[in-house]
Amino acid sequence: MSNTASYLDYDLKNVITKSRIKGLWRLMHGYHWKYIGAVISLGISASAKTSTYLLLSFFIDNFFVTDERPVSLAMIAAGFVLLAGIEGGFSFLSGRLAAETAEGSTRRLRNYLYDHIQHLTFTYHDKMQTGELIQRSTSDVDALRRFFADQAIGIGRIVILFAVNFAMITTINVQLAFISIIVVPVIVITSILFFKQVSKKYEAYQEQDAIVSTNLQENLSGVRVVKAFARQSYEMDKFEKENWKKYVLGKRLLLMHSLFWPISDIVCGVQMITGFYMGAVFAINGTISVGSYLAYAGMLIWIIWPMRNLGRLIVQLSTGMVSFGRVLEIIKQDREPLDTGSAVIPQKLNGEIVFKNVGFKYEEGEPVLEDINIHVKPGQVIALLGSTGSGKTSLVNLLPRFYEYTSGQLLLDGVELNEYPRRYLRSQIGIVEQEPFLFSRSIRENITYGVGKKVDQHEIETAAKNAAVHDVITGFPEGYATLVGEKGVTLSGGQKQRVAIARTLLKNPRILIFDDSTSSVDTETESEIRSALKNLMADRTTFIIAHRIQSIMEADQILVMDKGKIIQAGTHQELMQVDGMYRQIYDIQTRIETELEKEIANV
Amino acid sequence: MSEEYLEEEDFQTKFTGKTFLRILGLTKPHWKWVIGFLLAIASVSGLDSFFTYLSKRIVDEGIVAGNKDALIGILSIYGALLVVQAIFAFFFIYLAGVLGERIRYDLRKALFNHLQKLSLSYYSRTPVGWIMSRVTSDTERVADLVTWGLLDMTWGFMNIVTSMIFMLIISWKLAILVFIALPILFYVSIQFRKRILVQFRNVRKLNSKITGAYNENITGVRVIKALGRESGNLEEFSYITSDMYKASYRAAWLSALFLPTVQIVSSFALGAIVWYGGLQADYGLITIGGIQAFVSYVTFMMWPIQDLARVFAEMQHAMASGERIFSLLDAVPSVKDQPKAYDPGTIFGEIEFDQVSFAYEDNKPVLQDFSLKVKPGETIALVGPTGGGKTTIVNLLCRMYEPTKGKIKINGKDYTDFSLHGIQSRIGMVLQTPHLFSGTIRENLRYGRLDATDDEIERAAQLAGAHEFITKLEKGYEEPVGEGGNLLSVGQKQLISLARAVLANPELFIMDEATSSVDTLTEALIQQGMETLMKNSTSFIIAHRLSTIKKANRIIVIEDGQISEIGSHSELLKKGGKYYNLYTKQFRNQMEQVYDPFKELGGASGLPLAVE
Repeated sequence: MSNTASYLDYDLKNVITKSRIKGLWRLMHGYHWKYIGAVISLGISASAKTSTYLLLSFFIDNFFVTDERPVSLAMIAAGFVLLAGIEGGFSFLSGRLAAETAEGSTRRLRNYLYDHIQHLTFTYHDKMQTGELIQRSTSDVDALRRFFADQAIGIGRIVILFAVNFAMITTINVQLAFISIIVVPVIVITSILFFKQVSKKYEAYQEQDAIVSTNLQENLSGVRVVKAFARQSYEMDKFEKENWKKYVLGKRLLLMHSLFWPISDIVCGVQMITGFYMGAVFAINGTISVGSYLAYAGMLIWIIWPMRNLGRLIVQLSTGMVSFGRVLEIIKQDREPLDTGSAVIPQKLNGEIVFKNVGFKYEEGEPVLEDINIHVKPGQVIALLGSTGSGKTSLVNLLPRFYEYTSGQLLLDGVELNEYPRRYLRSQIGIVEQEPFLFSRSIRENITYGVGKKVDQHEIETAAKNAAVHDVITGFPEGYATLVGEKGVTLSGGQKQRVAIARTLLKNPRILIFDDSTSSVDTETESEIRSALKNLMADRTTFIIAHRIQSIMEADQILVMDKGKIIQAGTHQELMQVDGMYRQIYDIQTRIETELEKEIANV
Repeated sequence: MSEEYLEEEDFQTKFTGKTFLRILGLTKPHWKWVIGFLLAIASVSGLDSFFTYLSKRIVDEGIVAGNKDALIGILSIYGALLVVQAIFAFFFIYLAGVLGERIRYDLRKALFNHLQKLSLSYYSRTPVGWIMSRVTSDTERVADLVTWGLLDMTWGFMNIVTSMIFMLIISWKLAILVFIALPILFYVSIQFRKRILVQFRNVRKLNSKITGAYNENITGVRVIKALGRESGNLEEFSYITSDMYKASYRAAWLSALFLPTVQIVSSFALGAIVWYGGLQADYGLITIGGIQAFVSYVTFMMWPIQDLARVFAEMQHAMASGERIFSLLDAVPSVKDQPKAYDPGTIFGEIEFDQVSFAYEDNKPVLQDFSLKVKPGETIALVGPTGGGKTTIVNLLCRMYEPTKGKIKINGKDYTDFSLHGIQSRIGMVLQTPHLFSGTIRENLRYGRLDATDDEIERAAQLAGAHEFITKLEKGYEEPVGEGGNLLSVGQKQLISLARAVLANPELFIMDEATSSVDTLTEALIQQGMETLMKNSTSFIIAHRLSTIKKANRIIVIEDGQISEIGSHSELLKKGGKYYNLYTKQFRNQMEQVYDPFKELGGASGLPLAVE
């Protein structure tokens, strides 16, 4: 578990503060000293660079202008190498420390978000779009990474270069120092304005790019329609229009760049020439030494040119802040606690379930379930019959506490259900859907997924045999190692369901929920699923969600549901006695057969 | 979504002159621009070196000589050239940038247009994601190579050459010292660049893995909860993020190490210059300005070198991109017009499958010796199990594929004699999962016939039974359908694709009926639309609905690529064979839906159980 430890040491809930800056600082928890180290190293590196120019000044003044030579030539040469070594070494150290901070914080954030998302409630996932969540967990997290790795440190670099060089120039001549920075505010402000504009234009360009891609994608996926209507040239014209638009937008963007850089070149250049002139005049007048002039000329470059990038970094910084806000919104959501609950965990769950006036509704809106009263004895089979939206799915979703009932009492073995920890409940309940979600892993992994204990190949195969899917699996060239999904085989709905049955058999839950609500499975596989299901239902309290009567006639209790209420309850025999929905459904079957006979007779 | 994290390919190629020349050839139509930006960047680069030389003269001729006039003279030249350089800079940024956009545009256009010509067989073996990356990312890389890559190379090369010239002018002995350092610097740079690039590729690959993991975690969250797999998942995920950490950390510190290393190597050259320079100064061989110039040249020498190194390192990948692009452009359509193909004027008439066989892959025939004569205006219903060959028959009929053996004749002539356009422009097709294009409903309908008037479009929609629901929409015919039509329901999409086919007024109507059920009203409307179409054309329907099947003149049961039963509804039903079984089963299924007592009770769609 050492891998997960890096996130466990700090709860990122702490980054939720009023001040964004504080939040970002907390995001770096554990790396603070490293980040500070990175900044200090930057300072040392910049000072070493500036010192190189001072050394040059010393060298010129003592070896060329005068011939004092207080130290040997070799010392000077070594000095240059040493300073370069210090500059390079610390610049490397700074990069390394910043990278460690940025990558380490990002890694923790990624792990945290991943874990956070799988702990958020069903209600949250119901309303949140997948694409949106992925976007925030990937692009926005990456924007944050760049914030730490490039932008914040980049701005620090420019500011430090400015400060160190400016300070050094003031030691040469204060007047000169101030002359050298006249245009700095102008450049910084115009570059901020420019990059703001550019990022706006760039967005338009990106949007057009997305349009071009969508256009292409639709054309490729609709290739049969295009061909069947012989619309190739129409498609070409359509694509051409968007493609050309992108070109034009790109051209505009480039025009902005090709104006900004040369103009800022000239502005910076004028500052340089002014600096050179003033410095040279001071040197001629003897106010400063020739060596000092050289040092000054060198440092001047490091004050002026980097400033142009400051605007870019500041604009990018603000997008990083927006990303942080978007990530925060996920972090703010509360997790669903898995292990809290006061119930004493029994040795073995009997599976007796009592619903007493249970109701459920979302925070806002109509009640989804009302007045549900059921008494399920251990090992009984309960069938739920009803249309989509009648509440049968919601009812079974209460059992693993996917949703919390909002009124009434729900007792499991005599204990209020919401006193059981969720993790425990979910380990005791097995769910088999009509078309289960399989992960893009091997079939073996899908069968053992979530079983929570080590299982050997023999057990897996036994489960697969009992689920009537073993033969299907061994029919694949790679058997149990066959990958499922995009990169592997596509399983039919019935096959997927039987894989899920095998998984549930291994999990061995006390309570079973089986979804049989849609009727798309063809008859051959239906009988196989029936036999698999029999194995599964033995000795477990079972809930079957059904759409047809044939599959549920033997159930101990049949509940007919409509609009969140139970409208009929009883066994098949009992329900057949009364005139109601159940008998109506049953009668249809016989009616169909008569009509079919009529149909054939009439031919 | 899936395209976004299609894994990066590891495809790299050796430098091949042919591909390189072909990539360069892309600039041919715009050679004036290339010359323009290359001249501009060369001037900018040369001027950069010259400025350093001017700085030397400021020191020597101005400051040391104490000559203010000379100083002002040199600075005036400096200033004037600065403006000149800025103008050149404008040109190179603009020309190279726009050329890059232009080449991307050209490539996308060429690729797209070529894709329109490729046959369905190409699409069935090439994933959409693969094609997408060719058109999007590969074009970027290739365009970058011939613009910024070329530019950086020219800049770097010019900068080094002109710096060398000025250094030689100032002091040839010192210059030689610098020249010794050059190859070392270059070698070190390339080595770094290559390693950094590899790390960044790893990072990108891991990035797609992370996105994939998030995707599965979010879409499968209900199963994960149900199975209590949270901690196991997190542990697996943290392995990926650990790898990501390692790879990106490594990439970052390699990048951080790169420049300092180059700097330190060049500092030895600097040290040597100072040493020798100091010695030479005694004999007056080098001036103060000379020393300063050398310091500048050496300090800034690493920029062109690292640029060159970057271009060389990236070139390999751009070449690989180029090869993939060219492989797509060179793909030959398997179904295309014969040299003497002509437009038959009409394809309404007798259609004959004459012992047609077909195989998608060489040895697996999906259709064998299939023979069938269809009278003009006849409606044929194709039924049978999935994979039996029904879709293949209609694909062959539309000439999306051509028979591997045997012939398909229209009015007695082999249809390969006709032009593709001549056949396909007279076909109306409705697919099982209707494909709509983003845009308005009207635009989607007009797809059927481009010159149709608004009246004709609405008339077609009425005939197909789509008019009513369209007018109920907020913007009516101008309502956008969303990407792939996802703002409409399945039934609505079917109605629109029917109306689209009605508007095309086809001579041959082909429909693959949807299996999913729609509400009774929509179903009736769809049937009405189909009838309109079947009335005026020869029709082939892959049928699932009883009413459709019964309406057909002839029903063909296809199994294992062969006709197993053929005849009218009553004939086949009396026979009590395969059709009988199919029919009775379908009858029961359909009736159950018709009589479904829950239908009337149905409320809002239900909550998902664990997964939708």
